[in-house]
Amino acid sequence: MAQHRMVSFLAAVLLVLGVAMPAFAHSTVAYGGGFGAGLAHPILGWDHVAAMVAVGLWGAFLGKPAIWILPVVFPLIMAFGAVAGILGIPVPAVETGIALSAVVLGLMVVFAVKPPIWISAAIVGGFAVFHGYAHGTELPATVNAFAYAAGFVIATGGLHLIGIGFGQLVKWPSGRVAVRGAGGLISLAGMAFLLGVA
Amino acid sequence: MVKGWGGAALIFMLGAGPVAAHSPVPGMAGFYLGLLHPFSAPPQALLMLGLGLLMGPFEGRKIQLLLGGFLIASLAGLVFAHNAEQIDSAMFALAFCTCTIAALLPGRILPLALLIAALGGGLIGADSIPDAGPARDRFFTMSGSIVGANIGLLYLWAGMHWVRKRFAADWVAIAFRVAAAWGAAIALLMVALKFAEAAPWASALARL
Repeated sequence: MAQHRMVSFLAAVLLVLGVAMPAFAHSTVAYGGGFGAGLAHPILGWDHVAAMVAVGLWGAFLGKPAIWILPVVFPLIMAFGAVAGILGIPVPAVETGIALSAVVLGLMVVFAVKPPIWISAAIVGGFAVFHGYAHGTELPATVNAFAYAAGFVIATGGLHLIGIGFGQLVKWPSGRVAVRGAGGLISLAGMAFLLGVA
Repeated sequence: MVKGWGGAALIFMLGAGPVAAHSPVPGMAGFYLGLLHPFSAPPQALLMLGLGLLMGPFEGRKIQLLLGGFLIASLAGLVFAHNAEQIDSAMFALAFCTCTIAALLPGRILPLALLIAALGGGLIGADSIPDAGPARDRFFTMSGSIVGANIGLLYLWAGMHWVRKRFAADWVAIAFRVAAAWGAAIALLMVALKFAEAAPWASALARL
């Protein structure tokens, strides 16, 4: 009963997020502008969105303790990638790495791969570097850096939560099919980004 | 019973006098500013949040020890600190460590938590020294900062502790870990930005 209510609640949250219209409160200055820019950065990049949701999806699929380890490891390692981007340390093939993250993580869900926790954390952490690097190099010079950082970290975490929420469906047989299907879609999207089609 | 209390509250509100815009005690405005200082400066706010997340799982004698350590260290930082120019970077760095430990090892290793609480208190106390001005105003502001930091931390811990007790589901503990990870990520980015600003030669060297 509690699980049913939880799923209903999560579904309602997803629905609200899906139909939400953009809010135009004020223009992009100071803390508000920086936070908005950071918040929008992962969301406006579909390659980021696909991979972030896949991390949450895979974590929910793997169950404990991966369900909290993966969403914890990702932002921590992502921050190191962002540091590299800010300091201008060259990292090769960033966009390829981001697209590949969607492909690999999606395939992990499709084929229900359940490696040891340290391997799954290493895979997620490895891809997190590319995502963080992209956020760090694209930090606008005109916005408040603290607010920007808060914005994109929170947006990333929010996408993880969407994946985790959807991943709760694995408790049911039909839910497992839906989750693995979502993994397949994410993987196909990653292939499209990789090939330059999308 | 409820209607009775509601009616009494309404009468009380209707009988309220005008609000004085300026503080009743000369200089007390500085105390109010000091109260908000730990939560208005990004480095302090992030460090306070990290300390709250770190201390959240502790209770009983352990939290008394942690809060007591923070209090003593914040007073010590206020009294003994001087020339605290690079303190923002230090606070962000400590916030990174605090949040990382809160994400990976919540509620464990009390001595480490106590050390971090003490360091955090010392840094926050050191950062609460106002600019030059009349001694009385500075005293009010510093008093407000110390009170704000300590009571604020107490409320942070209490709020998180209440949530943990009220909602005993696994996802609550997960959410706190994830929030701590977010805090660590933000803090690390700020450390990198401060470092890049302070040492542009490092960025050039990194690109070689």
